[in-house]
Amino acid sequence: MVADGSVAHAEVRDTAFVGELGLDGSLRPVPGVVPMVAALTCRRVVVPAECAVEARLVGGHEVRGAAGLGQLVAALRGEGPWADSSSTRRPLTALPPRPDLADVRGQAVGRRALEVAAAGGHHLLLVGPPGSGKTMLASRLPGLLPPLGRHDALEVTRIHSAAGVALAGRELAERPPFRAPHHGTTEVSLIGGGTAWLRPGEISLAHCGVLFLDELGEFPAVALDMLRQPLEEGVVRIRRARRSIDLPARFLLVGAMNPCPCGEGSIPGACRCTEAARARYARRLSAPLLDRFDLALSLGRPDVDDLLGGPAGESSTVVAERVRMARLVAATRGVRCNAEIQAHLLDELCPVSPDGRALLERRLRAGALSARGLHRIRRVARTLGDLDDAGSVIGERQVAEALHLRDAGCLRWQEVS
Amino acid sequence: MTSVSSFGEDERYAAAIAALGAGPARVRRFLEDDEPRAAWEALARGRHRADPDGRYRSKARPSVVESVEADCARAGIGVLILGRSGYPTALAADHEAPAVLFTLGDPSFIDTSPRVAIVGTRSATPYGLSVAAELGGGLAEAGIVVVSGLARGIDSAGHAGVLATSRGAPPVAVVGTALDAAGRPMEVQLQRAIAERGAVLSERAPGSAGAPVWLFAVRSRVMAALAHVVVVVECHRKGGSLNTVKRAVDRGVAVAAVPGSVRSSASTGCNALLVDGATPVRDVQDVIAAVELAITGRSGIVPPHAPTRAQTRGEASTAAPNPVAARTLDTLDHDPASLDTIVRRCALPVTDVALALEQLAACGLAVGAGGWWSRPVG
Repeated sequence: MVADGSVAHAEVRDTAFVGELGLDGSLRPVPGVVPMVAALTCRRVVVPAECAVEARLVGGHEVRGAAGLGQLVAALRGEGPWADSSSTRRPLTALPPRPDLADVRGQAVGRRALEVAAAGGHHLLLVGPPGSGKTMLASRLPGLLPPLGRHDALEVTRIHSAAGVALAGRELAERPPFRAPHHGTTEVSLIGGGTAWLRPGEISLAHCGVLFLDELGEFPAVALDMLRQPLEEGVVRIRRARRSIDLPARFLLVGAMNPCPCGEGSIPGACRCTEAARARYARRLSAPLLDRFDLALSLGRPDVDDLLGGPAGESSTVVAERVRMARLVAATRGVRCNAEIQAHLLDELCPVSPDGRALLERRLRAGALSARGLHRIRRVARTLGDLDDAGSVIGERQVAEALHLRDAGCLRWQEVS
Repeated sequence: MTSVSSFGEDERYAAAIAALGAGPARVRRFLEDDEPRAAWEALARGRHRADPDGRYRSKARPSVVESVEADCARAGIGVLILGRSGYPTALAADHEAPAVLFTLGDPSFIDTSPRVAIVGTRSATPYGLSVAAELGGGLAEAGIVVVSGLARGIDSAGHAGVLATSRGAPPVAVVGTALDAAGRPMEVQLQRAIAERGAVLSERAPGSAGAPVWLFAVRSRVMAALAHVVVVVECHRKGGSLNTVKRAVDRGVAVAAVPGSVRSSASTGCNALLVDGATPVRDVQDVIAAVELAITGRSGIVPPHAPTRAQTRGEASTAAPNPVAARTLDTLDHDPASLDTIVRRCALPVTDVALALEQLAACGLAVGAGGWWSRPVG
């Protein structure tokens, strides 16, 4: 249009245009406005009116919205108004209420494990029969995590914008995201990728938040194995023939599964599966993946008395405050959370008292604990110590509880006799 | 382990016929009338009476003979042929006796000892496992051969009990897979230990991979035929052990069952057997009485010597180490409970209960597996 003279060159200087031009001259919203705008160095950015709010989240640009080509040209020439933010700004939708921990009746151990997972960033595996409240517990985990900081919030917003996934309120993300992809999901939609357009996968959308994989055993084995690298590095490296990209993917993984095909396998003597069916089920999950879980719980069905009018437990707000304090303590160790403590620093950062050591020794000698399991137990015990404000040395009490919070039989399926 | 039978021509061809993959009845018909070598040659020519369609003709290649012999030699596996010396007479009298038996260890003790089969579910409770181990150990010490199937759960526990005794009657394992088949590490270890002290029997030729499902069902007839008494320790309503019970009933072999909690799914089969008239088993003594009854009048079998029951279990201190542990111990019973249940019963914080359970486990007052806790049995 500059070329045919409808707009003067000076009027578009230092200005970038983002959007999709419809055949009727309208400007349509596009996904990925936040990262695109963030990447621009020009002074002014013109986006479709619907994207203006999103584009302003980045800050540092003069953002203008336009509803159609006619309005755009008029505004550029100074003959008409921009579709100003006041007219397109949606009323800020109040964030929807989140499920509260107080709704969970009974499940003392499950609640405790959630608190520990949130405080220490420990991946959590819930094993139990159908109806034992695995999903109910997992969906309450984001509510225990501290709100996102400015840097994380921008990163999360950018990823969601790039994926074209709306955030609640269309504002800067404040809450840690909770993503619960179905087990029918494809490898690409879980990990990220795609041919025409590299789209962030569920693991990136869960960045700084919680990735909940229900029915862990039903996910394609390939997809699960691809989780291992991001779990280790916090970044997913997507390599394709034409391009490659690193996307942030630092998430708290919560897995839920039945102990065996009939679902009753965790209760001694209750499983009715054939040997072959159990073996097939156990093979679906690779040992290295199961090994990533610091916490593994065997859940039973909730007690009837608890369900019918047992006392309500602590609310999410109370627990979240403890989590916040524990995270502050962890931050003094130079890590984001205790799950990230390097193995070689364990002796320095997580010293164990002699009676705690005796407990660990007993389990190790009985063959119920592996060397790698030992590291995980120490990190969890560290978090327990932080939560209970128990000082810098890990005591017997923390070790015992950590052992019990990583006690689901499925971790040792192959050896169980 | 010792290889017993010297590998003669008969063994060589009988083993090869067993390796053709035919069912037990057909293998028996193959070897019924002819010498093994003649039977093999008839099969190879497609002229065997029991194989009118010549279906086994293409399978009966000379290489089979060699490979089976090599497999047997490598793993130290012996071959016993129905009707020849060395074959257990107890089994030979059975109308469904396997025509060819592969063995690890020396099975010659079988005919001269009283024998009890310990069977039960794979999905056992700590109660069942400890009772099976106790019975296995007690029977072995009384000079009774324990026959079992090496499966996970009750079977393995029974044998583990036998192996835990320093001197006891040798154990017998009857397995559904080939003797050189790769199994779970624990299974392989147990099989090796049993072969060293007793004998492992299989109908399946070495080198055969896996085992068809029906083979597990038919091997139970071998256990039933070998046993004077079949003891079911824990069994679900439709458990596979009931197959062994059925085979035992068909053969007039006494069936005994260990009663269990009426709320335990793993005991429904046993409790139903008791209602149907099976002998109740509370301890080793009950089994021995049943064995004595079963072998009376049979010659050549040494009656079991009454166990020295002086070894009453040294009552371990039952005092919990501290008040919290005592409160936790009070809520434990013999049915395994999850940590969550125990926390609810105690009405104490998770961390207190976790520590208490560890302390109780350390002094042997509680046992836990996979997050389920109970009192140790006995």
